[in-house]
Order: sequence, then C-alpha cells, then structure tokens
Amino acid sequence: MDIQLKRGLLDVCVLAAIKDEDSYGYKIIKDMKPYMELSESTLYTILKRLETGGMLTVHTAEHGGRLRKYYHITDAGLGRIRDFQEEWKEILSIYRFVTKEGAENA
Amino acid sequence: MHKQEFLTQLRKELSGLPQNEIEERIAFYGEMIDDRVDEGLSEENAVAEIGSVSDIAAQIISEIPLSKIAKEKIKLKRRLKAWEVVLLAVGSPIWFSLLAAAFAVVFSVYVSLWAVVVSLWACFASFAACVLGGAAGGVVMLFSGNTPAGLAMLAAGVVCAGVSIFVFYGCKAATKGMVLLTKKMALWTKKCFVKKEDGE
Repeated sequence: MDIQLKRGLLDVCVLAAIKDEDSYGYKIIKDMKPYMELSESTLYTILKRLETGGMLTVHTAEHGGRLRKYYHITDAGLGRIRDFQEEWKEILSIYRFVTKEGAENA
Repeated sequence: MHKQEFLTQLRKELSGLPQNEIEERIAFYGEMIDDRVDEGLSEENAVAEIGSVSDIAAQIISEIPLSKIAKEKIKLKRRLKAWEVVLLAVGSPIWFSLLAAAFAVVFSVYVSLWAVVVSLWACFASFAACVLGGAAGGVVMLFSGNTPAGLAMLAAGVVCAGVSIFVFYGCKAATKGMVLLTKKMALWTKKCFVKKEDGE
C-alpha cells in the first residue's frame, strides 16, 4: 500500500479506536489487530503525531496499582474522522469510474 | 528476558537520544509489557511479543529526525574533558594555522579559476569592441575615399565578429563549468560534515 495512504489510514484507525471511549496503548493495538497489524513503535509515533496535531489528549490514571496513559479524542479528532468519511465517498466514486473504464477496455 | 532487563537494554540502545525522549519511550514500552502481563501473559512472553530490543531501537532512531540527533551530539560534544580543552587551546597555533592555510589554498585556487573565466569574458569584450571599431572605422574610411583601407578594416571587423562568437560560447561553457564546480564543492563540504557526524 502507498505509504502516504497507509499513514493517513493508520491515523484515522487510531482515532476510531478511541472514539467511543478513552483507551490505552495495548487496547488500541488489540482493537485494531483484526484490521491492521500495528507495532508498538508505530503506534507511539502515531499517538505523538495526533497529540501534536490536537486530535487527542493524554491523561494518566491509576490502574491496578500503576499508572496508565489514556488517550481521549478531541473535537478536532472527531472532525478528522468525519473528513475521512467524506473523502472516501469521493474515492469510492473515483474507484467505480476507474474500474468501469477497465471493464470497457477489456 | 524480564521487563527490567528489556527496558535497561533499550535505554542503553537509545542513549544517543534526548533524555526526555528516552524516558517517554521507556514508560510507553513498560506500560505495554505490564498490560500484557495483566492479561495473563508471563513477563517473558510479554517481552517476547514486543520484539527484539535492537529492532525497536533501530526503528525509533530511524523515525527521529537527524537534526534532533545532531543537536544531541553537539550537546554531548560540548562536554569536553578538561585535558581535551587544554590540548585544543595549546595546539591552537598549529591546528588553526594549518586549517587556515588549507582553506586559503582551496580558496585561492577557486578564485584564480574564476579569474580565468573573467579574463575570457574580457577577451570576448575586446573582440566585440573590435567588431564595432572595425565597422565604424571602415565606413568612415570608405566615405573619405580610402577604399582599400576601408575594406580591410571592414574585413577585420567581420573576422573579429566570427572570433567573438566562438569566444562567447567558450566563455559561456567556462562559466557553466565554474558554477558546476561551485555546486560540487558545496556538496563535498557538506558531505565532509555528515561523514564526521557518522564517524562519531
């Protein structure tokens, strides 16, 4: 897959993983596993990027006698997911156009 | 491998990075291992799932921009040992003059090459002036009745025009070559710095 495309997809996937409730690193990886294999260091980079971009906020909470970092989606993050849905509607219609052309030529 | 062992090794591999960057990564991986252990995995298995320390360190370092690493290196370099500072200071009459001389040699060669280009252009300018002079002088002489001399001057002007066209292209090529050389020198200088960074 194109690296730029994959990068954008990963960002939105991570946002989707924390959309309904705040989540933590390992849970994000587990939730995404059926769709996309994600290594710890890749996730770290994505979370940093999203945090810098104001898409999510980080807070620390106690869990089982130790501290755990939780990630919370911001309005900007929710907006990013909505933008993604709009973009993909366009991409889908382009996809239909491209595959139709291919069928006619064949 | 146990968690503590893993984190200690990772810290060692990342030691060239900014301190806060290291701490954050260590905390992140520590939490990742703890969460796996909470799920019922043994510490060894949890660590094994995360991957090898060297792979992780390599990926982390590749993701951090060179500028950040270089900054950290410069910071480290500034903490020179006392005897190194003394040596540098005592040796400065030698290394500084040698460095200055080397720089002066390279610079003077470069300047003299440009001088050749400039003189080529001067040559072109004089030929072009001869064209104008020949044409003007020839016309004047023709009108004043001295036909053979006028024709000779006009012919000389035409010859100069021909030569000046050749010289013009030569000048252009020489200038182009010098610009290329300048670019190459700039690149070479940069490479020297990068190599030094790599070698550290």
